[in-house]
Amino acid sequence: MKRIHLHALPLRLWHWANALIVIILLITGFSVRMTGLPALRPHDPVLVIHTYAGWAMTALYLIWFAYSLASRHIVRNYSLTGLTARKIMHQTRFYLYGIFTGEENPFRASAQDTFNPLQRITYTVLMFLFVPVIILTGLMFADIAILRHYVLLWKIAGIANALHVLVSYIFALFLIAHVYMATLGPTPFSHIRAMIIGYEEVPDNHGEPPAGSPLKTDNTLQGNA
Amino acid sequence: MGVQIAGDRESQEISHAALNPRCSRRQMLKLGGISIIGMSALGATLAEGAAPPLLIMDKATGLVTADPLRCVGCGRCELACTEFNDGKAAPTLSRIKIDRNLSFGPLGELALREGKGNWGNGVIVQDVCKQCPHPVPCADICPENAIVVSPAGNARMVDLQKCTGCKVCLRACPWEMISFDPETRKATKCDLCKGKPKCVEACPAEALSYVGWHDLTGSIPYRVIPTARMLGERAKACHECHMPGQQNTIRQGLAAITGSSRTTSQGIGLNWIDLAGSVLVPAGLAFVAIHAVLRRMSKK
Repeated sequence: MKRIHLHALPLRLWHWANALIVIILLITGFSVRMTGLPALRPHDPVLVIHTYAGWAMTALYLIWFAYSLASRHIVRNYSLTGLTARKIMHQTRFYLYGIFTGEENPFRASAQDTFNPLQRITYTVLMFLFVPVIILTGLMFADIAILRHYVLLWKIAGIANALHVLVSYIFALFLIAHVYMATLGPTPFSHIRAMIIGYEEVPDNHGEPPAGSPLKTDNTLQGNA
Repeated sequence: MGVQIAGDRESQEISHAALNPRCSRRQMLKLGGISIIGMSALGATLAEGAAPPLLIMDKATGLVTADPLRCVGCGRCELACTEFNDGKAAPTLSRIKIDRNLSFGPLGELALREGKGNWGNGVIVQDVCKQCPHPVPCADICPENAIVVSPAGNARMVDLQKCTGCKVCLRACPWEMISFDPETRKATKCDLCKGKPKCVEACPAEALSYVGWHDLTGSIPYRVIPTARMLGERAKACHECHMPGQQNTIRQGLAAITGSSRTTSQGIGLNWIDLAGSVLVPAGLAFVAIHAVLRRMSKK
């Protein structure tokens, strides 16, 4: 067995802080959604928690962005240029078919290349489309003078509200898939453990991807989460 | 918001045409058509029993704040307020309220032990209008749109021409800051005295100050839970910006299934986004569950 470094400490801290905040936001947001904003008191505790958690998520996103840009995490793991349809199909086929027949994961994760093709697409869309959308639409309701002025001027409050709710459902869907797929490693907790301690233990013979895999990599490990 | 101005141009056209002495047959027909449309629009409005809602989005710029520890309870602010605004000495009408907190407050002697100022523990707490940001409870509830924004300090002000004295705003303010003048039969509320609050000028203890507006509505506890509720067109006006909650929809759906006849007034059809969410999220859970079961079966 050998240990492979997968996730840097700042990213691990960000991941768990963000996980906590997102869960708080989803629960309070769902509660607000059920009651309806017009029926809530302006300073209802649920609303206040949601607002503060929203600010926390905004701050966390900015920290993540700054760190990832500086450490080249974004360049290494979030670029979609190297992706081909064949790689994506291969990874998808593994999750929908190969995983049941005992095939090996065609992808080997390393610190240089942590995400498999599906993860790359999902995380890129999430971090550079959905998270900014939900943060920006959230800020529109956060009582910032200049944003508030234009929201009222252009009458986009309704659209912003709809987008915010729509993206929150996408987040809920992502959370379900993400938590489940985090358990698809060699053992149910190996990926989750790696996200906590940074290292994942793999057998020595896990070198190159299995024959026929289009996913080239230089290091060893199965990556699913 | 913008709902209110729609009818005005129409009525102006009618009056212009009506004043024009030379009225051709075509003009006459046109005028008739416009009148019919106008009358029917009026009918639709009257059917709702309320004017189109006026929602105040502007924040106030000024605010009277009070320091309870400096207050000596002399009541000069109340006199100055009603002298300036009502031309008489009537502390019950005052827009700043000291009198009602002089004793032990509405909870009586009990509050002496448990209250924190506001509920009467010997400290005299001045109640001032918070000049609420949106949503402004008193203005939103007023069926005549009689609570408007004053040019001075953007204060929320009673338009005496429009006020009919229905007292519904008295039941909308969580701090009971609106009074009713039985002589004029109008509501009274703080309008910051055209930018120079008389209570602040009258206070001998420097307990009151006129400062830039900041939000006090989150930090000062409610005196009462408002009993007035927005209904009909007024409640729907909120939904131009905020989606209605789904509790009512679910309740109505359940009522439809069980055959119960109870319906709620605020129920508005299920939003397509929530519909998509309520299908996709369980579908995602089901997919994951099936995947997990298949994996377990395939391992054996």
